[in-house]
Amino acid sequence: MKNKLLILNGPGLSDLSVYDEFYGQISLKLIEEKCLGVCNELDIEMDFRQTDDENELFSYLLKDSEGFDAVIINPVGYSHALTAEFARYRLAIKTMTLQKKPVTEVHIANIFKQGSDITKPLQVPEGEMGFVSGLGVYSYVLAINAIHKKLNKAT
Amino acid sequence: MKVYVINGPNINLLGTREPEIYGYETLDDISKKCIEIGKKKGIDVQFMQSNFEGELVGWIQDAIKNKIDAIVINAAAYTHTSIAIHDAFKSFSGYKIELHISNPHLRESFRHVTYVAPAADAVVAGLGTDGYSHVIDLLLDLPIKVN
Repeated sequence: MKNKLLILNGPGLSDLSVYDEFYGQISLKLIEEKCLGVCNELDIEMDFRQTDDENELFSYLLKDSEGFDAVIINPVGYSHALTAEFARYRLAIKTMTLQKKPVTEVHIANIFKQGSDITKPLQVPEGEMGFVSGLGVYSYVLAINAIHKKLNKAT
Repeated sequence: MKVYVINGPNINLLGTREPEIYGYETLDDISKKCIEIGKKKGIDVQFMQSNFEGELVGWIQDAIKNKIDAIVINAAAYTHTSIAIHDAFKSFSGYKIELHISNPHLRESFRHVTYVAPAADAVVAGLGTDGYSHVIDLLLDLPIKVN
């Protein structure tokens, strides 16, 4: 059976023009096409989503993720969300990692670079989570490759 | 393309040191795998490891002198303390990737500060020892200016 991968993109990622300076012309459509190409090659079934609604993102993460073997999430500035929101978010990620489902956080830019308005990665109290930041569209590609390897090791 | 993969303190203990966190592969296993991938792709991959901060700084300076195209650095514990590595890394104008086997941000709070990442182009963490080969595998796709 094909592995199923959920790729979630958080609020603000519908417009990627802010990244043009460093990463050339990229768009969410372009990222989706690139991810689809890599997933097809690796025989992974991909579901690629973006939402500007934090509640919807949370629902994708907590409920919809049940039907998937792995999740890649670009939370954008979600790691700076209000404490209450953040607690819900951590719970959702923790739920997945405890089921030994690979979860990887990705960012287009290096969030640690000065001037970046996202300064810290997600912190979940338990389980493990991958992290790739700054490789542009290849942050997603590397995350997919790593998830593929991990899922095939486990079986 | 020429790449230095620079490893910091205790990475020489890989395979035996807290394998539940760092895995069972040794540094030698990892370097062999990466060099192999590099050979197939025409990338000259050189692995190095030291427990001494100054030696890591020296290798970054060697990379500048030898016109190395990219550095992948796992500065290990020095990540969280070394301004000297930060400064040296900043002086290197090639492509820079900070790498960690575990995800430091999911661990003790003293690992949450990184002096290396702000001077890097990209950060890869939490993908286990496979993280190294995943990075080498992608290098030719990245916008790296080859000397």
